[in-house]
Amino acid sequence: MRKIANILLNLDRRIIFLLIAAAVLVPLLRPFNLPGISISQPVKGVYDKIESLAPGDVLFISMDFDPTAKPELYPMGISILRHAFSKDLRVICMTLWAPGVGMAEEVMSKVAREYHKEYGKDYAFLGWMPGQLTVIIGLGQDLKKTFPKDFYGNKTDRLQIFENINSLRDIDYMVDLAAGDPGIETWYLYGKEKYGFELGGGCTAVIAPGLYPFLQTGQINGLIGGMRGAAEYETLLNRKDKATVGMDVLSTTHFLIIGLVILSNIFYLITRKGKTVR
Amino acid sequence: MDLSILLGAWVAAGLTLFIFSFLYKDNFFFKLGEHLYIGVSVGYSITLLIFKFMRPKWFTPLFGEHQWILLIPTLLGILILTRFIPRLSWPSRLTFAFIFGFGAGLTIPRSISGYILQQIQGTVIPMITKEGTQISYTFRDFSNLLVFIGVLTVLIYFFFSVEHKGAINILSRIGILFLMISFGASFGYTAMARMSLLFGRCYDLTLFSSKRYYYATPILLCLIILCFLIHHVLSKKHSV
Amino acid sequence: MLFLKRYLPLVICGFTGVVFGIQYYVPHKASEDLLTFINDWMIIIFGFSMILALASLFHVHYQKIRRRQSGWGFSLIVFIAIIVTVIIGIISQGETVDEKGLTSFGWIYTNMLVPLSGTMFSILAFFIASAAFRAFRARTLDAFLLLFAAIIIMFGRVPAGEYLWSKIWGAEFPLQMGDITEWIMGVLNMAARRGILLGVALGAIATSLKIIFGIERAYLGEKE
Repeated sequence: MRKIANILLNLDRRIIFLLIAAAVLVPLLRPFNLPGISISQPVKGVYDKIESLAPGDVLFISMDFDPTAKPELYPMGISILRHAFSKDLRVICMTLWAPGVGMAEEVMSKVAREYHKEYGKDYAFLGWMPGQLTVIIGLGQDLKKTFPKDFYGNKTDRLQIFENINSLRDIDYMVDLAAGDPGIETWYLYGKEKYGFELGGGCTAVIAPGLYPFLQTGQINGLIGGMRGAAEYETLLNRKDKATVGMDVLSTTHFLIIGLVILSNIFYLITRKGKTVR
Repeated sequence: MDLSILLGAWVAAGLTLFIFSFLYKDNFFFKLGEHLYIGVSVGYSITLLIFKFMRPKWFTPLFGEHQWILLIPTLLGILILTRFIPRLSWPSRLTFAFIFGFGAGLTIPRSISGYILQQIQGTVIPMITKEGTQISYTFRDFSNLLVFIGVLTVLIYFFFSVEHKGAINILSRIGILFLMISFGASFGYTAMARMSLLFGRCYDLTLFSSKRYYYATPILLCLIILCFLIHHVLSKKHSV
Repeated sequence: MLFLKRYLPLVICGFTGVVFGIQYYVPHKASEDLLTFINDWMIIIFGFSMILALASLFHVHYQKIRRRQSGWGFSLIVFIAIIVTVIIGIISQGETVDEKGLTSFGWIYTNMLVPLSGTMFSILAFFIASAAFRAFRARTLDAFLLLFAAIIIMFGRVPAGEYLWSKIWGAEFPLQMGDITEWIMGVLNMAARRGILLGVALGAIATSLKIIFGIERAYLGEKE
């Protein structure tokens, strides 16, 4: 028994890799369509806030992520924009991450097309600017001075959407979709802390546990954590998309890891028991 | 289908498989993909820097609108670049001093009010429920008590100016238990994040496996495996 | 010269630090205008600092090629990829989309950068599973708690886990899996994270003060 346990403990890691690959591919090719997922309070916080806004209110979204976080934050961006456009909110979008510009632009224009929104009137894309925290302070002090032109080269003071928007003080709600730093904490510390706008967040699962202290104090009013959070938001919108599809994969891979950990501990106990006897 | 979309699918599938080939072993395809990644991302950043920052934010205001005051930050910016010449690098210190002074000045008041005061306020919260003259003890109160104990003991654990003996040692041990639970939760979330990323790539790979994309993924996968086999046979022959 | 090289940077740093530290507490228009004005300069300076970062990368790979170090051919690929991307970017005027759809620059972004960076991080999924199998052992109470919390979170944050839990205990059971994971995250995890956050914030304030008062000079390239 000990011998078998030893062999299994020293299993070639490529066998584990194959197991993981199978755990991802099987539900992708044959979805299980597991029953609906429960909605957590942090996700509902963001949803309820957007739901409470009136048509014409301004939602500011900063998509601070790059392609590495696409499966988690891209569906979040899609869902939030769908929610905002369905409620006829005006949306201003930007990013603090240079490699994220292409994706932020893609999300914005894709959902705007879906809802037949007009650029410059219903939504605008500011693009990217280097400087991280200084960009946030700049937006809080004077938005049009910080971004004299939008991503497409239009002067911001000539776009209708910016008519009464001079700084972050004038927006009704902000959601930061973040994959790290600069992200939600940066927006809080250098933005909300001084300019007083309501802030919500969406983030990768890696950084989500570190943001709970801000959630409890109300420094952020809601948090959409990882692909699971994105799936919850899709459920709230009643519009299931890629994040919900991914829940089957998360189920199988998580169960596999749990199984591997439990098995390895059993094998470990068997080998240790043998040693103690000896 | 548009040729550029088809070609894009083949390139995306190929590059994804190049990187995944590292799971078998470190190899030429992975290195190629890795270095292409660095090159393309740097090239992308340079282009953005030129067209989305330098042109609208610096070149046009300075040379088009003659905002000569921008010469000062320009000079400070250029001074940074003296770091490349070790003998003449000292002027870069002036700019760095400006950046760090500005950053430090911004950080102190914001950290005090945004982090320390708010976080302490969130820790010292009611641990019993009082409605009128009635006092009760709910699960929420118990959770609030746990938050207080957790924050305090974790801070004690990180307080190294006092030797961890006696009561301090017991408290710091409790702090470690809180930290372990937090690290465990973080591991769970990290696993979730990584699996999500893997799902994203596999989703695209299965998409590119379809007839619509002329079976890009399986064909490229077979080609890569074939290359590995040929390499394996040749190297075996060489060693013989 | 010593003044210019050594003392002037310390004076500039101390002065700007004190000014912008105090500025936060002075909501007067002049004070706000000063912040707006200088902040705008900082954005431009940050833009130039990006050139420094990019040039450092060039330097590393150039040295590899010049010295014909092992793998120098891959460094050459880095250069070629940079040059090709920048040339295509210039032709596309930095735009990823136009009225016809994706530009060539956008094509590179979508079909090269997105899959490459996405896959680079996704392979960690395999290593995290392998590491969990090899190293996650409940040897002590601390390790057991870590492992237990990880298992509960991984089980409870997926629909299959929630489904199984409700099947075992029933859908009317007052304690559902979502409540348990949310409690762990929002109470136990949060308390520990707050302790770390407070420590980090105090450290950041102390370092900032040391920078302003010239005690911390590493940013000048000095050892002390």
